[in-house]
Amino acid sequence: MKLLLDIVQAVLLVALAPLVRGIVSRIKARIQNRQGASVWRPYSELRKLFAKEDLVPPTASFVFRLSPVLLFAVTVAAAAFIPVLHASALLGTMGDFILLAYLLAFGRFFLMLGAMDGGGAFGGMGASREALVSTLAEAPLLLALTAVAVVARIATLAGIVQWTLQQDFFRLSAVHALAVAALALVAIAETGRIPVDNPTTHLELTMIHESMVLEHSGPSLALIEWASAIKLNVMIALLIALFAPWGMATAFTAAGLAIAIAVYALKVAALAVVLAVVESSVAKLRMYMVPDFLGVACALSILAVVFTAVMR
Amino acid sequence: MIYGFNTFLLLLLVAPIVSLLCVKMKKARALSPIVLVVALLTGAATTGVSFWRGDRLSLDLSRLTPLPFALTVDRLSAFFLLLICAVSVPVVLYSASYIERHYEGLRRDGLWILLPAFIASMVLVVTASTGFAFLFGWELMTLLSAGLIMMEGDAGQRRHNIFIYLLMMHVGAAAVIGAFLLFLPHAPGLTFAAMRTVAAQMPQGMRTAIFLLAFLGFGTKAGIVPLHLWLPRAHPIAPSPVSALMSAVMLKTAVYAFVRFGFDFLGTGPAWWGYLVLAAGAVSGVLGVLYALAENDIKRLLAYSSVENIGIIFMAIGAAMVLRAYGAPSLAALALLAALLHAINHALFKSTLFLGAGSVSDATHTLNMEELGGLLNRMPVTGIAMLVACCSIIGLPLFNGFVGEWLAFRAFLGGSTLPPIAPAIVLPLVAGVLALIGGVAAACFAKLYGVVFLSRPRSEKAEHAREVPVLMQLGVALPAAACVLIGVFPAIVLWPLMTTISELMPGTAMPAQATSIATVLPWLALAVIAIVAVVALVRRTVRVTATWACGQPGLDARMQYSGTALSKPLRKVFSQVYRPDRAVNISPAGQPYFPETISYRSVRTTSFERALYRPAVDAVVAAAHRLRRLQTGNIQVYLLYLFLALVSLLLFMRFL
Repeated sequence: MKLLLDIVQAVLLVALAPLVRGIVSRIKARIQNRQGASVWRPYSELRKLFAKEDLVPPTASFVFRLSPVLLFAVTVAAAAFIPVLHASALLGTMGDFILLAYLLAFGRFFLMLGAMDGGGAFGGMGASREALVSTLAEAPLLLALTAVAVVARIATLAGIVQWTLQQDFFRLSAVHALAVAALALVAIAETGRIPVDNPTTHLELTMIHESMVLEHSGPSLALIEWASAIKLNVMIALLIALFAPWGMATAFTAAGLAIAIAVYALKVAALAVVLAVVESSVAKLRMYMVPDFLGVACALSILAVVFTAVMR
Repeated sequence: MIYGFNTFLLLLLVAPIVSLLCVKMKKARALSPIVLVVALLTGAATTGVSFWRGDRLSLDLSRLTPLPFALTVDRLSAFFLLLICAVSVPVVLYSASYIERHYEGLRRDGLWILLPAFIASMVLVVTASTGFAFLFGWELMTLLSAGLIMMEGDAGQRRHNIFIYLLMMHVGAAAVIGAFLLFLPHAPGLTFAAMRTVAAQMPQGMRTAIFLLAFLGFGTKAGIVPLHLWLPRAHPIAPSPVSALMSAVMLKTAVYAFVRFGFDFLGTGPAWWGYLVLAAGAVSGVLGVLYALAENDIKRLLAYSSVENIGIIFMAIGAAMVLRAYGAPSLAALALLAALLHAINHALFKSTLFLGAGSVSDATHTLNMEELGGLLNRMPVTGIAMLVACCSIIGLPLFNGFVGEWLAFRAFLGGSTLPPIAPAIVLPLVAGVLALIGGVAAACFAKLYGVVFLSRPRSEKAEHAREVPVLMQLGVALPAAACVLIGVFPAIVLWPLMTTISELMPGTAMPAQATSIATVLPWLALAVIAIVAVVALVRRTVRVTATWACGQPGLDARMQYSGTALSKPLRKVFSQVYRPDRAVNISPAGQPYFPETISYRSVRTTSFERALYRPAVDAVVAAAHRLRRLQTGNIQVYLLYLFLALVSLLLFMRFL
């Protein structure tokens, strides 16, 4: 039963990732006074892309075609780390947050290689900018997670969630406040949302992720797009699991599960609204302002770690 | 077992003689690599068996030498001996082809004579059990490696670099000798067994002095910032197999010696020793990888990345010392496990990378990234091995580099459980430093691999590159395969390593964290492979077509991002670290918008050279100028010096 639920929640994270993306776009459209596309549009886009053919440059090597597959595989594996409906996950009981962070880095590394293999100018440009953002996001990501793990005295995600579930929300420490702020900033940078990157841009001066995937097409592009949707979903689920897991099922009853699903859906919806509001109200940063943005995340996460020792 | 060990040593000493004898006989030339490989395999087998059984091999040659000279192989030595043998085998296989292709006459013979001798000197360093034997091997190692570098030629700038290498090595060696001499009053024979027993009874000041000297001496050899100055100068100019040996193995002998001093002889010290090592490691890691990022010469990049990895190893060693000082032996064991594992890992992927760089220069005659590109399609075996090594060095899961870094992370994280506040703040923060290093390393190696092996060739030379001979392919493929093996099944090295550590720190057992990562990684590998297999089932029709060039006639190689451009954003963010001297010359001067010629020059002299080394060198030269006054050229004055020396010695002996 437990194993089944582990599998179901991982599959849900993967399968519903495009929906979350669609919902965010829809809310964004409404805020901007537009009608907006259906929330299911990302699925039809994926179906369209999977039906198309893969265009491969003659100079590219096998890395060009391998990188989307690997990116997708490790992102799905990362989804298996996150407790969603109960305080356990397929890999989340054995693997810890360091493994999770490095799995995401794995995908990013191959995405960068695939971009450079395209042989055009845009791929290199995107890879270069992605290197900037991801390098600077790495330290605050791990430090913020470290702070939470130190407070919970356990490094596996399932363990942290289990610990948090037993705490009173109103008595969570300043460490959590600092860590959630840092992690939210990092999540924005990692998933390529405004103000760090714009997921809808096609202007060479501004794009990071879009220029990396510019040479990919067909199923390869579909895998990349799906993977980045999963990554967004994983980041949302991670924020929920670490900082607001209450409502997760503690026993395997139908009522408990129904509540867990409903509460989780509510939390995702709330975060989607926050994301849409932020994206609609903030302008994209100039690229060389991104280090400052991540510098704030870094400072917050360092403070969080310092506070774990000071406040115990 | 001792016979096997003796055979190994004997074969290793015979190998240079075989090479010497084969100089004249063309047909017998293949004999020297064969003898060497047989020797190394014997050594690996012998040490492997004795390691497993926990035997202590020893060989006492004191009767033949003026000072006590003995070799002992305990678990720590055996571990490093295995590392030397295991990494040297692919390097020798590679050399068998590489040296034949690149060198002839005296140079080729010289390389084949010095190479086994160099390996033998490293074996001596890690097995020596007396101060004399150790220092003998230590010095020999420096000189032989310098000799090997010289085989490539010694013109102009090269000679200057070799001079800096030798100079710094001897400053380091002076510190090492000092560390040994401080033991002399208490342990006259300087046998390691005696040093181990007396170290605990020595006064604290003396122990600190020994520790500092050892850190200085071995830190110089290991390439800790700011003592790393020789490393990016010496490694790139050596023949590629020699660079691989120097970076993968020789630096590890310094790690061995430091662990021997820090954990075996001195035992538990005050916490600030550990903090010092930790800080030095962190600075080396961050600066090493930032300098590596800015390099466009493959071998210089790899040399700086060695500084980074040595930094990671010393961070873990420092954490182990801190944790031990605060009385957390099991966490200290975890940190030391991370350090030793990263030592093996670095040996494996760095030898792949340096040998691969040799293959690249063999196929294209250049190491400048901006002239390379598209090599993966032209050299598939080398390219895949290099991809594996790049994934390993930046610590991606399922490759070996990750396991070591993960253990280090968990050890740093464990610092938060200590009651005092200082380590509980410092150690978890160091995890952030390690994350930063990992991030920059990912950028650095994405640049290396993307520019050199992917996309289109940037020059004629790269365009016409062909795959290297089989032996050279084997040389890069073997260590790369080991990287994946350890990355997926780390248990195969974790258990032997833990037995080594419990010999150094009695009472420690395998930390639970290490067992957990060894369990989760095979499952993760299975999951990733399964997902890749499922995705591979998706029908994908592929059409090969040119990249869209915005309607222009076509893209050419110059439209791609160059290595310099790729690293530009990060270099801009960290510009305080680089501070290049830039000069833009536009002529004629009055017409900035319609120039006839523009020349641009950007030189990076590291701030260490400016702030630390320049004044030191100036001071030494000034002192030498002053001392020159003693040299009058007058024989009576020299006789006076002799007489004064005699009198002062007599007085000294009388009143001592």
